[in-house]
Amino acid sequence: MPFTEDQILALAPDEASKKSGKDLANPSKWVSKGANEQVLWGEAQGSGSKPYQTQIDLQQIAFKCSCPSRKFPCKHGLGLMLFYSRQQKDFTSRDAPLWVTDWLSKRTEKDEKKVSREEKPVDKAAQAKRQQARQQKISDGIAELRLWLKDIIRNGILNIPDKGFGYFENMAKRMVDAQAPGLANMIRGAGDCNFYSEGWQSAFMDQLAAIYLVIEGYTNKAHLNEPAQQDIKTWIGFTQSQEELKVQAGITDTWLVLSKQSIEVDTITTERNWLYGTQSNKYALVLQFIVSGQGGQLTFTPGMFVQAELAFYPSIAPLRAIVKTQTATNSAAHFTVFQNWQQVTETETQLCAEMPVRNERPFIIQQLIPVQFNNQWWLQDEDKKMMQLKNEHKSIWKLLALSGGEAMNMAVIGKEDKYEPVGVWYKNEYKTL
Amino acid sequence: MEYWSNIINTAMIGTDKKMISDNELPSALTEMVSLIRLNDQIDKEEKFLQIAALALNYRQAGVQPLHKETVRLQPSPAEEKSYCSKSALQVLKDIQSEDSIPLLKFWLQQAEAKRQLVHPELIPSLLAAGAQTKSLQILVAVCCGKRGEWLSRFNELWNFSLNQTAEQLWQTGTPEQRRTIFRQTRISDPSLARVWLQQTWAQEDANTKAAFLEIFAINISEADISFLESASTEKSKKVKEEAIGLLKKIPSAAVVQWYQRELQQSVELKKEKALLGLSSKLVLKFHLPATIDEAIFKTGIEKLSNDKAFTDDEFIIYQLIRSVPPAFWQSHFSAGPQTVIDIFQKDSIGKKMMPALVIATANFKDEAWASNLSQHSEIFYMELLPLLPVQQQEHFSNKFFAQFPDNIIQFAVQRETEWSVELTKNIFIHIAKNPYNFTRSFFSQYIHLIPAPIIAELEKCTPPEEHLRIMWSNTSDYIIKLITLKVQTLKAFHE
Repeated sequence: MPFTEDQILALAPDEASKKSGKDLANPSKWVSKGANEQVLWGEAQGSGSKPYQTQIDLQQIAFKCSCPSRKFPCKHGLGLMLFYSRQQKDFTSRDAPLWVTDWLSKRTEKDEKKVSREEKPVDKAAQAKRQQARQQKISDGIAELRLWLKDIIRNGILNIPDKGFGYFENMAKRMVDAQAPGLANMIRGAGDCNFYSEGWQSAFMDQLAAIYLVIEGYTNKAHLNEPAQQDIKTWIGFTQSQEELKVQAGITDTWLVLSKQSIEVDTITTERNWLYGTQSNKYALVLQFIVSGQGGQLTFTPGMFVQAELAFYPSIAPLRAIVKTQTATNSAAHFTVFQNWQQVTETETQLCAEMPVRNERPFIIQQLIPVQFNNQWWLQDEDKKMMQLKNEHKSIWKLLALSGGEAMNMAVIGKEDKYEPVGVWYKNEYKTL
Repeated sequence: MEYWSNIINTAMIGTDKKMISDNELPSALTEMVSLIRLNDQIDKEEKFLQIAALALNYRQAGVQPLHKETVRLQPSPAEEKSYCSKSALQVLKDIQSEDSIPLLKFWLQQAEAKRQLVHPELIPSLLAAGAQTKSLQILVAVCCGKRGEWLSRFNELWNFSLNQTAEQLWQTGTPEQRRTIFRQTRISDPSLARVWLQQTWAQEDANTKAAFLEIFAINISEADISFLESASTEKSKKVKEEAIGLLKKIPSAAVVQWYQRELQQSVELKKEKALLGLSSKLVLKFHLPATIDEAIFKTGIEKLSNDKAFTDDEFIIYQLIRSVPPAFWQSHFSAGPQTVIDIFQKDSIGKKMMPALVIATANFKDEAWASNLSQHSEIFYMELLPLLPVQQQEHFSNKFFAQFPDNIIQFAVQRETEWSVELTKNIFIHIAKNPYNFTRSFFSQYIHLIPAPIIAELEKCTPPEEHLRIMWSNTSDYIIKLITLKVQTLKAFHE
């Protein structure tokens, strides 16, 4: 198993699980245990009379445990994995017991069922009718949004900070009613600008211009090529059928998990997994939405190499993807990276020409050094060209400690003129920041 | 990007009042902007939104990295020591997640002893721990090596790690750092510490002086007399009292000598005939000289008794006995400690003076007397425990544990050496019975004193009461976790 202890702990849903998992990484806690190339299993003595049965699919990194915990993975799963990473030689049994093989075969059956469900025919006429009705709703919503934008521009943005939450939320809700949840999020994004920070006006205008570009793009979509139309539809909030995506040919590669960012809103955790295809030299963003108390389908941890086929959402510059199949976890693979900031900005300029509205993207850039200039931290390349660090308080100290003022290959996420470092290669090992 | 500022300025006041003009925009956009302006299908607000969207894209597409040849970062110098093993690093991570400062200190001590460094990735968290817990600072600075020193230049909260010499720290450190380094130097080289203090004495304020004098008690000796005598003439009452208090701890100090002279006249050992002159016995006589120098009462000796059991004269003698080294009695009576103790115990007034002898023993840190008093006194005196050899400390702590559990625990936690299994067991049995008086932090705080073999005895400490039993079972799990981390630390540095 090519996981470091830190990578295993990064799978934990919270700090308490990490602690409990560590406590369980101890031979005295396990009544039985075993492992082979495919699966890892163990029976943990809990407070009940029967030990909990814990099993981990090592190929697709999936957990199952008979304990009543709602956390995922539970402390037993984490503990077993940590125990295995520390003392592999103690796992002498290689023949999986019945409860393990049963679980594995059920997983395979489930996958097959999914495929058969995907093959069910769709009522195309009804679907087209629904689409038409939705388009009408969206067009009506866009007309209202256009008026709202123009109203702001006519009166000026000076007093926007005084408008309050409701001003944005009401229009966002209107967009939800118009079945344009993407636009609703963009409006909320404008309302979420930090009006107390210096330069809020620029960030706010960026967001207004982006909303305007999307609604104009949607209004004039007939003049756009198919991928551009798809990008606009995504911004509006059209969902893409995952079944349809899975039918498309994907890209099979050894993907390196660069970063996992989790944001919890209400009871839903959104996991943003940033991946890099070591052979295809493509970057991917795999989103996972986890409802509190339920486990996610994917178990990625930064620094992990995953052998998988990814299907990308259609776009001018495809980035968002889903995992079509995941076959194994690999160890480190060789790959190429951006040479300097010039290459990054050239790529960004190219993207700007094709996609005027876009989110941050990841880049792996070689040999960057953190440097201080004008009381701010920057990342300097070998040509002495530099970009400013985004969210520097989050990563600067670990970055500086690992770098010691020496250049390092670095994974960053950002756009325009600010980039957040998310990982570095320190002595050939990927370390997250 | 002046054009973007112009867009913002227009947006701020609104298109109702102002529209952006061509000369406020880059010439590269002129053609596109004129197309927008010519579009009569849209109003000025939309025209502005289109111009703003165009300018936004122009801005984003034209981003160039900042080229600064002169901006450099001086790299961290190479380390002179080796890094700790991966297993030691893993234990450190586990310790950090337990938030146990003593365990962290224990880990750092092992690393320091082996001249090993922490890996760079954990340096920021260690420096942050050092910034929060001052007592860790020196160890953190040592274990973070050159990289830690280099890193701390960028964060003023971490400046404690700057590799300064002890003397530099004394001269330029924070008050806390100065006190720490002064304490350490007083332990390792008391005269150097005294010289340092003398050099800066005039510049220190009264509170700082008093704080340093408090530390000065460590390794106090005859060589300190002249400095303390000059300090005892300070204006500040606090400093004066502290200096006089310290002088009273030095047997050769003038004030102690004075007390001894008074006692020589006040306490006599006389041979008296007994059994109608057939035999004789030694009798203690306590009487103050007819004239006593009134100045003695300005040195902290009270004239009137505040205890009904003592007459005024007895009380003065009691205070004098308390203030002279117990060894004085050996020369005064020409007898060994055991005989002196017997003489005092057999006499009715002498018996009352026993606590004064004990205080004097503790005051002058007379280990031989502490040992004799513990063995031959009818009463056990807690204050003597720290002066006894570890084995005797253990013996008396266990012997009198049932009588003074809280006092013995209070003393035990101040020890620097690990407790014996027997003492630990006694302490744990007491804690298991009184779980509300001892939280988990007790074990985390004193884990450095808890011996690993106690794991086998934890079950035997279980109290009979059902509700206490469950609590102790949970506490035991926690103790095992802490001990495991301690053992893993030792193993990681000794494998």
